[in-house]
Amino acid sequence: MLDQIVATREQLPVKESTDSRTIAACQQGDREALRVLFEKYKDRVYSIALYSLSGDEMAAGDATQQVFLKLMTRIGQFRGDAEFATWLYRLVVNTCHDEHRKQRRFVALADSFLQTSAGGESPRASYARKELAGRVQTAVAELKPKLRWPILLKYVEGLSYEEIAQVLKCSKGTVASRLNRAHKALGRRLSHLKNEI
Amino acid sequence: MFSKHVTSLSSAYFHDELATRESQRVAKHLLSCTPCRADFDDVKLGARFAEQLQIVSAPDSVWASVVDQLDNKRVTRMRLWFVKPLAIAAMIILLVAGGLLWLRSNSDPGGARWNVARLGGSPRIDSQNIGDRSKLGVGQWLETDATSRAQIDVATIGNVEIDPNSRVRLLETNSSEHRLELARGRLSAHILAPPKLFFVNTPSGVAEDLGCAYTLEVDESGNSILHVTLGWVSLQLIDRESSVPAGAACAMKRGVGPGTPYFEDASELFRVSLSKFDFADNQSDREAALASVLSEARPRDVMTLWYLLLRVSAADRAGVYDRMASLVTPPQDVTREGVLNLNAKMIDRWRAQLSIRSETIREKKSFWKKLWTETLGRIHGLAGKR
Repeated sequence: MLDQIVATREQLPVKESTDSRTIAACQQGDREALRVLFEKYKDRVYSIALYSLSGDEMAAGDATQQVFLKLMTRIGQFRGDAEFATWLYRLVVNTCHDEHRKQRRFVALADSFLQTSAGGESPRASYARKELAGRVQTAVAELKPKLRWPILLKYVEGLSYEEIAQVLKCSKGTVASRLNRAHKALGRRLSHLKNEI
Repeated sequence: MFSKHVTSLSSAYFHDELATRESQRVAKHLLSCTPCRADFDDVKLGARFAEQLQIVSAPDSVWASVVDQLDNKRVTRMRLWFVKPLAIAAMIILLVAGGLLWLRSNSDPGGARWNVARLGGSPRIDSQNIGDRSKLGVGQWLETDATSRAQIDVATIGNVEIDPNSRVRLLETNSSEHRLELARGRLSAHILAPPKLFFVNTPSGVAEDLGCAYTLEVDESGNSILHVTLGWVSLQLIDRESSVPAGAACAMKRGVGPGTPYFEDASELFRVSLSKFDFADNQSDREAALASVLSEARPRDVMTLWYLLLRVSAADRAGVYDRMASLVTPPQDVTREGVLNLNAKMIDRWRAQLSIRSETIREKKSFWKKLWTETLGRIHGLAGKR
């Protein structure tokens, strides 16, 4: 299914220039334009927030809401000299840092993460897939933030090393080094599941 | 030789982030160095686990909360130290804006302006009746009532006729872009210029001229319908796009964007069913509509079916392919399996066979656009204006 989604995305002509018009409208306070940006980015912003806030759905929802409120109040500062997505994910990272400091709620990681859905499979395959996804997400959540962020930006957002470096305000070499360490940490923690993938 | 180990490059090599020469060096080294290969295998394993991360849907309640906060101006968790300076800044901005408005209302709008000719009745620009001729500046609205019509010269590249009960605004005009907004009513555009110079914004999407003549109509709800009489027009909203050829039409719905293009001589059942497929909320209605579209399709309607290949669910794609293949022979090297898996090359090859606007054509048009803006545009005194 994911392959099909990706293939469909490749087929459809993506008009990045539309973003700039939407952003311009947003800078004029156009609520409908904000809705367009919200619809486009909400799931990715929410996913990043969820994974970085230890699977706390309520905190992730709050963080997503804060991101789009900040977007509306700060969009005037966006000058277009960076990719909009890079600017947005910088907001996400900062908001999640703030949210993390305030976080007081405790949520059992595996229970929350195991709810990830996967359609079109047999119950057994679906369960195995959910369980694997849950274990991976728990392992990612347990990484140190400086290792977790490059993983999330790479695998949830699909950013390049250069873009990740811009979001995290570090060098491309640092991104490569942190991803190296994060990959090895994940491999070690989940090695008992290697036959599942 | 220790310095030549490549463990620090494992992830970058795996993600194809290295320069070609460096990548080749790593590949060669991995063949002969057991420790580096073991390290690379560890990274690869971690990466395969990380690939299991999925995008999770945000709860529907988030948008409602955002709107609620914006409406009630309760942008929480923000300190209020800035309120006083902000109020002072707002006062200054209001004074400056008021001054600018006064200046504007007492002088002609500056910048490039388009000629407007009255074709009937009493068209108005910014609520002022125009005589037989007038000028439309950037930001100004041209309105027609039930009995009036007007013609606008689109810089030097063509003209647009504005029908009764229409409301149109000039958004931008420069050497690389001329843009109108059609809030309601109908316009007929005749453009003689390279593609991608003339655009019309509507509440349901943007019409991008690809060198053509067309009519575009927007109803009170902001939904629109495009009829192309010459050339091509592209309709877009975010990442949804439909290219519409001469003889075809395409509807756009507010909040959804362009539907699927169809030739206007298609059967009524085909057109009605296609509209249901594009815009109905109910999934079972859409499925029934798709069945009618497929059964009513003629060889000429394969253009429409090609778009549906990309817009139907994976389960319905086989039915669309089979109907297409029964109407026209697929190009060589295009297989059923490839199309069902949305193989990019195969789908593109079929698009080229159907003469649906392709990337190659787009590139050629870009060349003509460049030539126009850099040479002809300059002759018309437009080049360089932004």
